[in-house]
Amino acid sequence: MRNKTISLDIIGQMCPACLLLALKEINRNKGLLRSGKANLIVKTDHRDATRTIPGAASAMGYAVSVAKKETHYEIKIEQKNEDENT
Amino acid sequence: MKTKTLKGKSRRPDGYEKTLKENKLLHQYIRKKVNQLLTIMGTKPLNSRGLRDEGIIAIDPIGIISESFGQVLEHLKESNRQLRIARDHLQAVFDTAGVCISIVDRDLKILKCNEKQKELLAKNASGIMGRHCYRVYCGIDSPPLSCPAIETLETGRPVFIKEITKKGKVFQIVTSPLKNGDGTVEGVIEVSMDITEKKKAEDAMRHTEKLASIGQLAAGIAHELNTPLGNIIGYTKLVLQDQAIAQEQKTKLEVIAEQANVGSKIIRGLLDFSHQKKPVLEKFSLNTLIRRVADSLQDTFTAGNIRIIRSLERVPSLQADPNQIEQVIYNIIINAVHALEGRDGIIKIKSRTMKNEVEFSIQDNGPGIPKAHINRIFDPFFTTKPVGKGTGLGLSICTGIIQEHGGSIYVESAPGKGATFTVRLPYKPKTLCGG
Ligand SMILES: Nc1ncnc2c1ncn2[C@@H]1O[C@H](COP(=O)(O)OP(=O)(O)O)[C@@H](O)[C@H]1O
Ligand SMILES: [Mg+2]
Repeated sequence: MRNKTISLDIIGQMCPACLLLALKEINRNKGLLRSGKANLIVKTDHRDATRTIPGAASAMGYAVSVAKKETHYEIKIEQKNEDENT
Repeated sequence: MKTKTLKGKSRRPDGYEKTLKENKLLHQYIRKKVNQLLTIMGTKPLNSRGLRDEGIIAIDPIGIISESFGQVLEHLKESNRQLRIARDHLQAVFDTAGVCISIVDRDLKILKCNEKQKELLAKNASGIMGRHCYRVYCGIDSPPLSCPAIETLETGRPVFIKEITKKGKVFQIVTSPLKNGDGTVEGVIEVSMDITEKKKAEDAMRHTEKLASIGQLAAGIAHELNTPLGNIIGYTKLVLQDQAIAQEQKTKLEVIAEQANVGSKIIRGLLDFSHQKKPVLEKFSLNTLIRRVADSLQDTFTAGNIRIIRSLERVPSLQADPNQIEQVIYNIIINAVHALEGRDGIIKIKSRTMKNEVEFSIQDNGPGIPKAHINRIFDPFFTTKPVGKGTGLGLSICTGIIQEHGGSIYVESAPGKGATFTVRLPYKPKTLCGG
C-alpha cells in the first residue's frame, strides 16, 4: 500500500461515543483522507458502530469498507474512487 | 480550600445556587442538542451514565458533528456539481446525436425528446411534451396496429423495425424499455434513424444494376440478331438486282429490306447504349457542328413546316468527340421534331460561353413534357412513342455521352410551353486524354 494508514482503536467504547471519536479522527485527518494520502482504520467491537460509522463517513463522501476480525471489526475509511463519483 | 468551601454551605457566595441551576440547564440543553444531532447521524442518544455532563463539554460533540456536517455539505456540493456536469454532457449527447430520441410514458405520452426528433418529425408541433407520440410523430389519432412502443411496453423487450414511413420519411426504429429501480417498465425509449437518403441511394443502385443487366442482355441479343438481319438485308438486295423479278414482288422485297433496316437501327441503338464507347477527343468548333446538323435536318423537315433557328455566339473550340456530340444534337432535335408532330413549329438552337464551359440549348415550342415524365425521360427505355418509332434510348445515350465528357445535360419544360434541353461541356475535359 502506498498511502499511510492511521489507526484508531476504540475497542470497549460505548456506542454514541464510538461515532463521535471516529468522526473526530476523520475531521482531524480530513486533508490526508480526502487527498488519498492516508486511510483510516477504526477498530471497534461495537456492532452498532459498524453501521453508524460507515453511514456517516459515506455521507461525508468517503469510501468505507468493514472487515470482521476475530475479536473486533475493522472499518476502513478512504478517499472515494474518482470514477465512482462521475 | 476547595473542599472546605463545598462543605460549608453557608460560606458560598451569593448567586451560587442560581449559577449551579443555570449550568445544569445549560448541560441539559447541550445534551439534548447533541442527542438530536446524534439521531440525525443515525446513532443512539448519549445517556448520563455513558457520559457525564462534564465529559460532554470536554469531548465537544457539537464541534465534532458540525465539522462532520461541513464535510457532508462539501461532499454534497461536489456530487451536485458532478451530477450537473454529467447531466449537461448527457443532454449534449442527447441533442447532438444523429438519431431521433424520445422517451414516452406508459400512455405513449412524450416525456422528453431531442433536437433531431423535433427537427425531423415535430417541426411545427407546439407543446410536444405530454402529447401522444403517435399524434406528434406519426400524425395519426390512435397508435398504429404494429406499434413497436406498445410491443415493448407489453413484453418489456426491445423491438427493432427495419423500415417504417413517417411523414414521408423512411425510418429505422428501435424501442427499448425504460425501467425504474424495481425493474417495472415505466415507459419506452424510442430511437429512430432517418434512412430516407440511404434508401434512395439503395434504390438508385438497384435501378442502375437492373439497367446494367438489361444492357448486357440487350447487347447479347443485339449482337446475335445483327448477323441474321445483315444477311436478310444482303440477300434481299441481291434478289432485288435480279431482272427477272416482277415489280409486284420487288415492292414486297423492298418492304422486307426496309423493315430489316428498321430492326437493324434499333439494334444499333441498343448496342450504342450497352457499350457506350469512350469518346475520341478532337479539337473542333461546336458552332460549325451545330450548323451542319441543323442544315441537314432542316432539309429533311421543311415539308413539315418546322423552322430551325440558330442563335450562336462565339464560343471557344471544344476538345471532345465530334461524332458523339453530333449524336447528342441530332437526338435532341429529332425528339423536338417528334414532339412537334408535323405541326408548324420552331426549334431554336443557341450556344454561349459559360465560366469554364460551353453551353448549347435546343428549344421547341411543342407540347412540353408532363410533370410525371420529366424525371424519367433520361431513363433508358422510357418512351411515350409507339413501338418502332421510339426505343426510349435516345436521351439515355445522350446522358451517357455528356457524362463521359465531364459535362451536364438537363431539361426545362412545362406542359404546353415546349421543352428546352441544355447541355454544358467543359472546353478541355481534364479527366480524359485525347485520341
Ligand atoms: N422535346 C420534347 N418534347 C416533349 N417530350 C420530349 C421531348 N424530348 C423527349 N421527350 C420525351 O422523352 C421521351 C424519351 O426520349 P428518348 O430517350 O429520346 O426516347 P424516344 O425518343 O425513343 O422515345 C420521349 O418518348 C418523349 O416522351
Ligand atoms: Mg429520341
